[in-house]
Amino acid sequence: MLEFISRILGRGAKPRSKNLAKERLKLVLAHDRIDVSPGMFEGLRVDLARVFGKYVDIDEAGMKVRFDSTDSRLALVASAPVIRMRRGRETPRRGRRTDA
Amino acid sequence: MGGKVIVVTSGKGGVGKTTAVANIGCGLAARGKKVALVDADIGLRNLDIVLGLENRIVYDIVHVIEGKCRLRQALIRDKRLQTLFLLPAAQSKDKEAVRPDQMKELTTSLAGEFDYVMIDCPAGIEHGFKNAIAGAEAAIIVTTPEVSAVRDADRIVGLLEAEGLGEPRLVVNRVRPEMVRRGDMLGIDDVIDILAIDLLGVVPDDESVITSTNKGEPAVLDGVSRAGEAFRRIAARIEGEEVPFMSMEVPSLWLRFKRFIGVAR
Repeated sequence: MLEFISRILGRGAKPRSKNLAKERLKLVLAHDRIDVSPGMFEGLRVDLARVFGKYVDIDEAGMKVRFDSTDSRLALVASAPVIRMRRGRETPRRGRRTDA
Repeated sequence: MGGKVIVVTSGKGGVGKTTAVANIGCGLAARGKKVALVDADIGLRNLDIVLGLENRIVYDIVHVIEGKCRLRQALIRDKRLQTLFLLPAAQSKDKEAVRPDQMKELTTSLAGEFDYVMIDCPAGIEHGFKNAIAGAEAAIIVTTPEVSAVRDADRIVGLLEAEGLGEPRLVVNRVRPEMVRRGDMLGIDDVIDILAIDLLGVVPDDESVITSTNKGEPAVLDGVSRAGEAFRRIAARIEGEEVPFMSMEVPSLWLRFKRFIGVAR
């Protein structure tokens, strides 16, 4: 009944549970498929941060590493807020994100 | 002679594997094919009771493998369909009673006599799963539109691939069109998008599956239920026919009324 009333009132901006299910599944499957343990994942994050750090100063706390699955392919996506470039000129703005 | 050996598996339990095996098997037999259904869930046999054949068991799969009887003696002919046979699982033994190589030998000899050999795989990915897939040349994965079932199905896709059983086909069971419509259940497109395998069939959630199981008469035989129709179409697709998928549109009040009085499905 409530559902019916809210439909009449034209609500429905609420994200439906299906979308949540799909997002959560995609994320968990991306990890299942590559069989990476949380420990190994953390190791990857730390190592990537060190490599990035050789070239740019990054905000390590704000760095994110994840696997994305589109179609049946998997992509490793690492993004980190850049504080400044290591050599040469500084980046114009602070906190800009670079994708690797 | 070369019948086709198909394993029906899911990873997760309770998604409707046994019901699917019983219904697809009956569907194929109703088309005149010779079908052997093998219950590989040793220690937890259920295919017999779903088919209504539980009172006819004398010998089981372990008796055959141990050489205590001949294969032909253990096969139970269905009450309704002359070309449908069941090889029941053992109820008192455990899964270690059978090895994959024995299972392979068994299904190979069945394939010599039947058009289709369908194996009801136990839940899980351990010993029983490895036995069930040992002799299979094709796989059907059953799932429901729930995160747990889809996740396990994905794991099974990977394990089957590792065993050389690529290109499994998917049956999405217990779909509730009304929930899909309002965005509260994963739809078929979502599940296919996530698992990236071919769709074999879509089975609506249907109370008649429960009532037909109560009676030991698979829904596919009743001729009126929605689930039965879905399984008939799956059987036709296994035979290579191109059949449209069942509409998962929410039925109109009028259609629901017609279904209620039994003039539509």
